[in-house]
Amino acid sequence: MAINLTSKKILVVEDQAIMRETIKHILGAFGARFIVEAENGINAITAMRIDKFDIVLCDYNLLRGKNGQQVLEEARFLKLLPVSAIFIMVTCEQSQEMVLTALDNKPDDYLIKPFNRQQLLSRIERCHARKKYLASVENEIDNGNIYQAIYNCEKLLQLDGKKMRLQLLKMQAELTLKVGDFKTAEEIYQDILHERELPWARMGLGIVAFFLGYYDQAIKIFQDLIEQYPVMLEAYDWLVKAQESLGNDEHALSSLNSAVLLSPQSILRQKKLAVLADKTDNLSLAKKAYTATIKLGKNSIHRSSGDYSGLANVYLKSNAASEALKVLYELNQQFHNDPEAKIRAALLETEIHQTKGNKALAQQAYNKAFKLSEQFNRQISRELRLEMAKIFHLNGNGEICDEILNDLVKTNIDDKAFIKNLVTMCDAVIGDNYAETLIQHIKKELVDINNKGVGLFQEGNIKEALAVFEKAIIKMPDNHTILLNMIKIIIHDIKTSKPDPEKIMSAQAYINRAIQLGIPHNQISGLQTELDTIQYKSHQ
Amino acid sequence: MLSINFPSLLTSSVHDIKNSLRVLRTLHAQLESIYQDKKHIEFKQLEFEANRMNNSLMQLLTLYKIDFAQYSLTIDEHSAAELLEDIVNQHSTLLSLGDIQLITECDSDLLCYCDSTLISNALCTLVNNAQRYCLSKVLLSATQEDDYVVFCIEDDSSGYPENLLTSDCKKLPELDMTTGNTGLGLFFAETVAQLHVQADKRGFIMTDNNSRFGGSRFKLYLP
Repeated sequence: MAINLTSKKILVVEDQAIMRETIKHILGAFGARFIVEAENGINAITAMRIDKFDIVLCDYNLLRGKNGQQVLEEARFLKLLPVSAIFIMVTCEQSQEMVLTALDNKPDDYLIKPFNRQQLLSRIERCHARKKYLASVENEIDNGNIYQAIYNCEKLLQLDGKKMRLQLLKMQAELTLKVGDFKTAEEIYQDILHERELPWARMGLGIVAFFLGYYDQAIKIFQDLIEQYPVMLEAYDWLVKAQESLGNDEHALSSLNSAVLLSPQSILRQKKLAVLADKTDNLSLAKKAYTATIKLGKNSIHRSSGDYSGLANVYLKSNAASEALKVLYELNQQFHNDPEAKIRAALLETEIHQTKGNKALAQQAYNKAFKLSEQFNRQISRELRLEMAKIFHLNGNGEICDEILNDLVKTNIDDKAFIKNLVTMCDAVIGDNYAETLIQHIKKELVDINNKGVGLFQEGNIKEALAVFEKAIIKMPDNHTILLNMIKIIIHDIKTSKPDPEKIMSAQAYINRAIQLGIPHNQISGLQTELDTIQYKSHQ
Repeated sequence: MLSINFPSLLTSSVHDIKNSLRVLRTLHAQLESIYQDKKHIEFKQLEFEANRMNNSLMQLLTLYKIDFAQYSLTIDEHSAAELLEDIVNQHSTLLSLGDIQLITECDSDLLCYCDSTLISNALCTLVNNAQRYCLSKVLLSATQEDDYVVFCIEDDSSGYPENLLTSDCKKLPELDMTTGNTGLGLFFAETVAQLHVQADKRGFIMTDNNSRFGGSRFKLYLP
């Protein structure tokens, strides 16, 4: 027995009492003392809020409420599971396919029911050994230090570990993709494929092609994979992305629809299908997908008031105002104390009454939306804010609309997809040049701030320069240029004064943020190397 | 004329039986944990037979999917030793009775490339059969032979009957009513082996009676 269960905190999520007893008995026989039981998903989440578990055994088919996958998604989303924790999904053969097709959030391992004590123990033991071996990498990923995680991967690879080699290479490739080092990722995948044709490595090449903008090449790779492995859902997901990037929404919709037919329980795919079908005016498909999303969302962390207003809007588009009204009622029933849901409901009410010609009621609902948006403006998602800007404009509140758009452009200037949506909306509703002018104006403003900061920096006034960027970053936390300049100045500051752990930490935090935002590898890696050198020296 | 679509009828029935079997196996596991102190041989034999049935049904469903080009292979790298360990674990309850020894031999660094669910299912059934026919020993091993990883099951039985040695495993052998040998396990193993391809090499199986213990020997070659 390589693993001692005595000190482990274990959670058993299983709806059948007798099955829980059986599992508890097996674990107890191997020394486990701290075992908590939960008979449904909600209790499982509560238990995880109270205790940090080392091992979670979770049945997929829970009788009521959340299923095992939804428990896992919620636990990861709420960060209730420590990085070192083992999550094993217990399934029966019949539900295995369903489990394997989840879009993200994979458990550490699966165990098929019924199992005997030896099968259970060996599964736990193997997971434990693997986690322990990969701890140096997974901990850094969890902290957001992706470059350090890559370095630790390389170190483990050098230590031999033939058995883990491929798994490490897979991780390393995925991490290099994350920081945008596509060349290295491509090399890793090519090397693997040179040895043996493995589907995930082939898919890796497709992903690299996608990120480099070679969409046709990427599409070819994903299509070939799907032909060979018809249930490889990740290949479908990437195919959809590539087709969308080419602007080929109809093809993307058809690929996505095939993926959804294979994995009808995946809420994120259903949600995406609904939005894409809506966008391409396939209203009956959009209706179906929104309805499925709402149903799946009942027990899911991915549930959103946006699904309800999406469905209602589709009904409005197909001249079924009374159906839309029913959805609105349901929306109000389902969400309490959620400002975003309240605003959506008010906006929806406005539109429904407008379509029905009830001017007074429409005005009343609009006033409600207006009041709510003033109250919660910054706490709601950018997609909803964009929608609100549109409604405000249409109702003659141009000033507020301008204010929201100005803010949205400022905070999202580097997010091409979002800006594209914004421009499309403005062109359709406000006027042709509106968005363009606004964007130019904000870009100039950015250049001015930047010049001011860099100027101060060049004069040697580091403190003032930092103050300029710090102020700008609060206003525009996602702006690439400001973030990069900020990191450069902090690093310069550390270099020229004595090493200060706090400053090093702050530089690292900004670098991690830059990686998260998808700033290209060639712009970050130099800064990371500089910071590593400083840290190395200060440890000497 | 009433038309009966037998293949799809069969799959629906198999699904039904499998569902019942799952309930049965779960009930069995629960009963066993209640009566764990008494060593009832019948319990273990019950588990053995239920697993055997389940494996057969899984093979049937997989073969149906392969036949209708619905099966999607999931090839990845796996540790051969872990694959063998899983098979032994599945048989651990019966083995604990102690009258049959299941021995494994495998280099812990040996890696193979396969659809592990398929391969482990194929091997499980054959180990199951070996346990039925052997006197006291079954040896389960994996080795590298040139470009192939070879899984080998050897026992001390009286050996394969003639019809399972000479016949072409690509075809289902004639059912031998006197012994009850269907050859389904071998047919499945052959079918599954053939799905594994690397460059110009394809997987295959071999059967003979040259076991180290004098009984039957089964070999599965994976490129």
